Amino acid sequence: MWKRTARGRELHFYLAGINNQNFLMRDRETGSWWQQVTGRAIAGELAGSALELMPNDELTFALWKSETPQGHGLVLAPVSGHEKDYDKKWEEEVAKYPVPLTFPGQGLKDRDVILGVEIGGQARAFPLAKVRGESPVEDKIGGVPVALVTGPDGESVRVFRSQLNGLDIELYRDAQNDGKSNGQSDGQRPEWRLVDSQGNTWNFAGCATSGPAADQCLEKINFLKDYWFDWKNYNPRTTVYSH
Amino acid sequence: MANRSEDRRLWLLLGLLAALSLSMFLIPAFVIRPFRHQSESALALAIAVKRIAPALSLAALAGMLALGLRLWRSSSRVLRTGIVVALVLAAASAVMVRQNYFEWLFHPITAAGFVSADDARLSDKEMVMAVRIGTEARAYPIVQMAYHHILNDTVAGVPIAVTY
Repeated sequence: MWKRTARGRELHFYLAGINNQNFLMRDRETGSWWQQVTGRAIAGELAGSALELMPNDELTFALWKSETPQGHGLVLAPVSGHEKDYDKKWEEEVAKYPVPLTFPGQGLKDRDVILGVEIGGQARAFPLAKVRGESPVEDKIGGVPVALVTGPDGESVRVFRSQLNGLDIELYRDAQNDGKSNGQSDGQRPEWRLVDSQGNTWNFAGCATSGPAADQCLEKINFLKDYWFDWKNYNPRTTVYSH
Repeated sequence: MANRSEDRRLWLLLGLLAALSLSMFLIPAFVIRPFRHQSESALALAIAVKRIAPALSLAALAGMLALGLRLWRSSSRVLRTGIVVALVLAAASAVMVRQNYFEWLFHPITAAGFVSADDARLSDKEMVMAVRIGTEARAYPIVQMAYHHILNDTVAGVPIAVTY
């Protein structure tokens, strides 16, 4: 997701092609060509410009609703006439096709879904399956402590800088509820929480709900959910998380 | 005799313009195929061709039209058929280089509609792309974005491009 302004100009994008399985877009204003995954213009008048990232989440609808105050959220409606084009099994369908690039040797298959985090020029891929299984995953990228957390719905993931007032903190699953959903599909359950060694409890928004840090929030870190081959293509020096 | 060799040159030119015209459409269409590898140089060539194609395909067509008229009188039936076929192909190419066939496959959202969270017919487990600016929150169901791919939206006055 990007802010669609470049060099002080508002732009409107449209789909214009594909480059190694990652789409190309053009803007109506200048006709420049942009790579979707990097937000960079690769040809045309605006070549060399970069769009600013718009921080966003991928959440289950239930979790989004639970975090959105009544009356403040809008949901994109299906475009009429295209309901049957919305294929709920699109991920399985796409997986049947060949990949345009392959990067063996780092223990991942080309279409493995990873969460890519880049801090200070250092890129690291976290296999999604591992993050779901081991949440919270604690790591350091370029000296910055991060925590990858799977939410109470068992699906949604967020990444936080696990640092409070300049000091590293370590997040744990709460032994009482194991930091996991009990299998109910009612989204955010009030008892879901993480704890740290300083007596704080944390919710999935990354804010302390009780303890000495109550009402303080951790800094959210943007990440990209991507196929391994695509992430590796644009981050050739990426490492892979493996603890 | 002089006329003959002049004609031959004109025919050669007609053929070259027809090939040029077709390649304006075919080169980018061949390079930018889904599920195939695009090398950096091939992609750069495809984009360069696409940028000049609208003007060049028209110029080629105009040139071919002039050549065709010039050669028409001295041509046999077979050759006249050849002129017509070449012109039709060049015209088709000039039309195709103006089409965005990726939007035939994945229709763009021209006018986005929104509903409140309560009115949305989504199951709780469906994934959405979520953004919040100030107090304004938006959810874009991924199953919809995986088809349309791009949405130009404005949230709390901030113009954003939702891409998936």
